[in-house]
Amino acid sequence: MSYEDYLTDRDVILTVAPTGGVHGKDANPNLPEQPDEIAEQVAACERLGAAIVHLHGRDEHGENDAGRLQAVNDAIRDRCDDIIIQNTTGGQSTFDARVQGIRTDPAPEMASLDMGPFNRGKHIITEHNRHNIDRLAAEMREKDIKPELECFNNGHLNEARRLVERGAIEEPYYVNLIFGHGTFTPPTPENVLNMVANLPENTEFNLLAVGRHQLPLTTLSVILGGHVRVGMEDNLYYRRGEPVEDNAQLVERTARIVDLLDCDLATPDEARERLGMN
Amino acid sequence: MSCPYLEYKASDDGHDFDHERPYCTASGQFVSPMRADICNDRHDFHHEVDCEIYREAAGTDAPAPEPTD
Repeated sequence: MSYEDYLTDRDVILTVAPTGGVHGKDANPNLPEQPDEIAEQVAACERLGAAIVHLHGRDEHGENDAGRLQAVNDAIRDRCDDIIIQNTTGGQSTFDARVQGIRTDPAPEMASLDMGPFNRGKHIITEHNRHNIDRLAAEMREKDIKPELECFNNGHLNEARRLVERGAIEEPYYVNLIFGHGTFTPPTPENVLNMVANLPENTEFNLLAVGRHQLPLTTLSVILGGHVRVGMEDNLYYRRGEPVEDNAQLVERTARIVDLLDCDLATPDEARERLGMN
Repeated sequence: MSCPYLEYKASDDGHDFDHERPYCTASGQFVSPMRADICNDRHDFHHEVDCEIYREAAGTDAPAPEPTD
């Protein structure tokens, strides 16, 4: 994917990440945490053009609980039309907790697959080792779940290539390039260009950037022929000092930018076709 | 065993929720979902080892030694 792809007539896949596992309502009271409020916001995002929703589960206190993904999936299927469900298998919990993201009934069409560990706080390193990555990739393949390969830094592109070389994933590969603080790739245009230049062949890429970097770097992704992820998981402010009102506010702005750049947003079915999903 | 500094409350000076959320009495703040895993010793985390706030409050978080030449 490249600038040349942008110049041709093409669709942009917009993923909304409404909740995540990092922030709580104490950081922004508009963050949806419970299944019904997540589904209500996602339905609004789907009407604005979101084709994929990336989901986390929370308990009644707003704490992470992968066991609640089933309820979130059910609520979204009730409220939404055709949006593609992508459950998380990421975060800092154990493998047994994270694998619940691909054991809902029915299974999600997509799931995230972290390509390696990252630091949290002062003492935490997430346990995304190769053994766990391979186990998740195998179960996703068995269940026909399309993995989104989460590359938190450029070393994780090597790990994505490792899966490609093992034949553990199917083309086209879908890589999510992540930019932000800490162990993530530093959020600069130069680093976006470098990451895109080092993608495996036959890869479609998505881009997420944390906080104030969400708007400029997702826009750059479109210009480089990529796809975009926005939402309150990654960004709680619409602009400096102005908290996001809801996820639709971020999706609407991105949809407007995509239109101004003379691209179209992919429908869920168009996204399935582009990503080689049955 | 959960952290002794962990409480569940629905409000503080700046927030008012319709449900109880994890709150750290050592830092005087509501706790993020990821930190709450550590407060509750979930997923093989142990607040005495993994939480810098607990360790500082309990006096067990010795600063890293200064580099010497």
